[in-house]
Amino acid sequence: MSVWPEERVTTIDSFNTVDMTINVGPQHPATHGVFRMVLTVDGEVVVDCEPYIGYLHRGLEKLTENHDYRQSMGWWDRTDYLAGLCCEGAYCMAVEKMAGLEVPERAEYIRVMMMELSRINSHFMFLGAFGADVGSFGTSFIYAWRERERIYDFFEEVSGDRMFPTYFRPGGLMADLPENYESRVRWLLGSINQGLEDLDGLLTGNEIFVERCKGLSPMSTSRAVNLGITGPILRATGLPWDLRKAEPYSVYDRMKFDIPIGESGDIFDRYFVRLSEIYQSTKIIEQCLEQMPKGLVLNPDLPKTLRIDNAECYIRTEGTKGEYGVYAMARGGVKPYRMKLRSPSFCNLAALKEMVVGNYLADAIIILGSLDIVLGEVDK
Amino acid sequence: MTQPAPASPPEYPGISGLIHKSLPKAAFTVLSTKTDADLQVAAADLLELVQGLFERKELAFDMLANITGIDMGEDKLAVKYNFYSFKHNHRVQVTVTVPWANRHVPSLTSIYGAADWHEREAAEMLGLVFDGHPNPKALLLDEDVRIHPLLKSHPLQTVEILQGIEEGVPGFKF
Amino acid sequence: MTFLFSDPVFGVWNWVDAIIRILVIVLVMTFVVIYLTYGERKVVARFQQRLGPTKTGTAGLLQGFADTIKLASKEDIRPTNADRWVFEFAPYLTFIPVLMVLVSLPFAKDWGVRDLSLGMFYVFAILGLNIVGILMAGLGSGNKYALLGGVRAAAQMVSYEIPLVLSLLSVAMIAGSLNLNEIAMRQSFTPDNGQYAPFIFLQPLAFIIFFTAMLSELHRAPFDIPVAESEIVGGYFVEYSGMRWSMFQLTEYASMWAFSVFGSIVFLGGWAVPDTSDWWGPDWGWQLGITFIKSVAWILAIMWVRITVPRLRIDQLMSFCWKVLLPMALVQLLMNGFILVYDWPPILLTLTSGAGAALLVAIIITRAIHRPKSKLVGTYKQVGVAAR
Repeated sequence: MSVWPEERVTTIDSFNTVDMTINVGPQHPATHGVFRMVLTVDGEVVVDCEPYIGYLHRGLEKLTENHDYRQSMGWWDRTDYLAGLCCEGAYCMAVEKMAGLEVPERAEYIRVMMMELSRINSHFMFLGAFGADVGSFGTSFIYAWRERERIYDFFEEVSGDRMFPTYFRPGGLMADLPENYESRVRWLLGSINQGLEDLDGLLTGNEIFVERCKGLSPMSTSRAVNLGITGPILRATGLPWDLRKAEPYSVYDRMKFDIPIGESGDIFDRYFVRLSEIYQSTKIIEQCLEQMPKGLVLNPDLPKTLRIDNAECYIRTEGTKGEYGVYAMARGGVKPYRMKLRSPSFCNLAALKEMVVGNYLADAIIILGSLDIVLGEVDK
Repeated sequence: MTQPAPASPPEYPGISGLIHKSLPKAAFTVLSTKTDADLQVAAADLLELVQGLFERKELAFDMLANITGIDMGEDKLAVKYNFYSFKHNHRVQVTVTVPWANRHVPSLTSIYGAADWHEREAAEMLGLVFDGHPNPKALLLDEDVRIHPLLKSHPLQTVEILQGIEEGVPGFKF
Repeated sequence: MTFLFSDPVFGVWNWVDAIIRILVIVLVMTFVVIYLTYGERKVVARFQQRLGPTKTGTAGLLQGFADTIKLASKEDIRPTNADRWVFEFAPYLTFIPVLMVLVSLPFAKDWGVRDLSLGMFYVFAILGLNIVGILMAGLGSGNKYALLGGVRAAAQMVSYEIPLVLSLLSVAMIAGSLNLNEIAMRQSFTPDNGQYAPFIFLQPLAFIIFFTAMLSELHRAPFDIPVAESEIVGGYFVEYSGMRWSMFQLTEYASMWAFSVFGSIVFLGGWAVPDTSDWWGPDWGWQLGITFIKSVAWILAIMWVRITVPRLRIDQLMSFCWKVLLPMALVQLLMNGFILVYDWPPILLTLTSGAGAALLVAIIITRAIHRPKSKLVGTYKQVGVAAR
């Protein structure tokens, strides 16, 4: 004899639940910009996720095709706007590769130093925003902001602008560093290390933070590679792959640094890889300061108007979020024929659905945060 | 622009020699860019070649880094694929050139998960059609905007009416 | 006629007296809430290396009033698909229970609206009503974020009510009374009530459980799941604006204040510890000051927690309640029963409850230690693997 009468069992049909569709974004505090995802939730569990991008699409590639090589610099700054100098670096490298331009050694060192400062800047932004996503009421945000402001102040002193410095030029740099740069940068490094310790103390050891992040949305290396994921997220899966070591560009082959890797590719590993990368970046900057040669910062043979005949290249750099690639093609004239940005955020974001489905709604927000997307880069 | 390789004997610069050795049946010609060897393939042979690149142990191109669509002029479109192998740390570029009239390219989504969004982007920007793509929707532009901005014939500034315009030939006027 | 004026329940003077006291308490509450928001902004800002409000008045002291004026003059927007009456009444229904709780709290000896003989029972009976308003706000807004927030709030508050009540019950067992004045007096070191100390020393476990459950009832971090800003953008009050929104804020801070006064009466001895009867000056002045200091300390603790810890997930929250807090509260209740029934020495209360509190802390620490090991756990400076 059944415990439940027949009619009790059949009426369970009337308790069927209906999935709910929630629209997250484009105006939402956790989407880090104008990103929108439509989540279908069953109670608190996400069963489907459909990302929509393009709210910040500015036609970067079309614009680049219609401006000459130096005019486009400003546009490329605005792709990964948290680390504009990394984008400038990749763009300039593509143009230099096509034109066969040499960059003076001092300019290379300054570039590496500035790109690493940008990377620190971007990673600090991640740490702050991620802490806010997890729910620490902006404390991590403000801690991170302190260091970011100081780095921005230095950028302003160097180039005249904080967020979009437009400091690099094909063939070198806009100007040399200010005279007191070395003491400024050393002071900055001390401050960065202090901020790193603060954030490490605030988040890494926190029981609730670890409980939220550990083991959440793990990812295998092979799957990540197949999805085209690069950067800290790929390194968090345990693959020590960094373009600064795998295909050294600029003067990265003269720098000594380690590649932090994770184990399971879960959210905590992604967080900790980025935290550790800041420390490695400070080591690179120190080496730059020690090895900095004297000399010019702009190639003296640079023509007034840069014209490039038939050339084609695909430049890959280690952006802050992953492989920042520039496919460039020139067919004569002062403008590029085609420039395509392979942005890391774009490719990482494509894997969002796979990571989010099956997790809690609150975790979906954290997973999105852990991807560290920059919408300027995703939407181009 | 790519430099044509000498006609005879066929020379395989860089990685392309290895590819030719392990995939002797694959039909491609090799050019080289400033950074990569560039394999020129017909659209019909693309899937077979990429399958080989992905599966052969000595090649092991496990990552599709980038897909670029280009309007080459003269009613031709090109699609450039950049592959990379984490195992061997080598890279190659594959080019498919298709005429505008028959702009169908096989989709690589069955092999590389990364191809999904790249192909959607190239499709909407240049009007390419990727056969076999599971979700061929617009990505960056609105769904009902039927323009392909990266075509050279697309005007730069005079676009006013965007929505609801049916897809036309390149060079359509607004 | 004498019935009309002198009856203790229906007499006019009794009602006039009660109304005057309630008016005073409403005014005081408004003032307290305004400065509580100001204080929280200042404290949070200082924790975060900022300045907080500085422009309005000296050191921003008038900021709360400026905010009030701004909120009062804002447009009261009701979404088209909201359920009109449910939507418009929800803020008041969340606020009224908090006001009703304030009625029973003694801020000094006999300084309350009414001294209820079942005061503690009244408090947690009334606080349960809070859920109704929050659910109404969540359902009536016609917004999915609000719905999620409302449902989360209901689930969370219903669950945490149980350990909250059980922890208070174990205190009431020792005090032998549900009257808040008597509970406070029971904790002072007067010769006629034995060797009793504030109940935080007798029942540390109950204190921890109460504090945790209180944070949850208040929707403060790390239990701010119903109002999680980064997930559901404010939860049940996402659609409110102007005065109705400020009613929710008022509720939040007023209940924070009510809980801190209530908690300091129950666990810290309220106005009765230390005993001020032979101190210089008026007795009630000292007692009000003591209550003030204790509740401020209580509120600062709440703020400190809010600033430093991230948010829990809803399933972690639930399992913490049902698997950790509730069993411990029950065991404590049982031990108290044994000790009190068999007249064992009161020090055993401290020992058993302290052991429970130590166990609770130990559970958390062992969880932290037995976390799956990773190369990354350690200091970020040691991490690093050379490239291939």
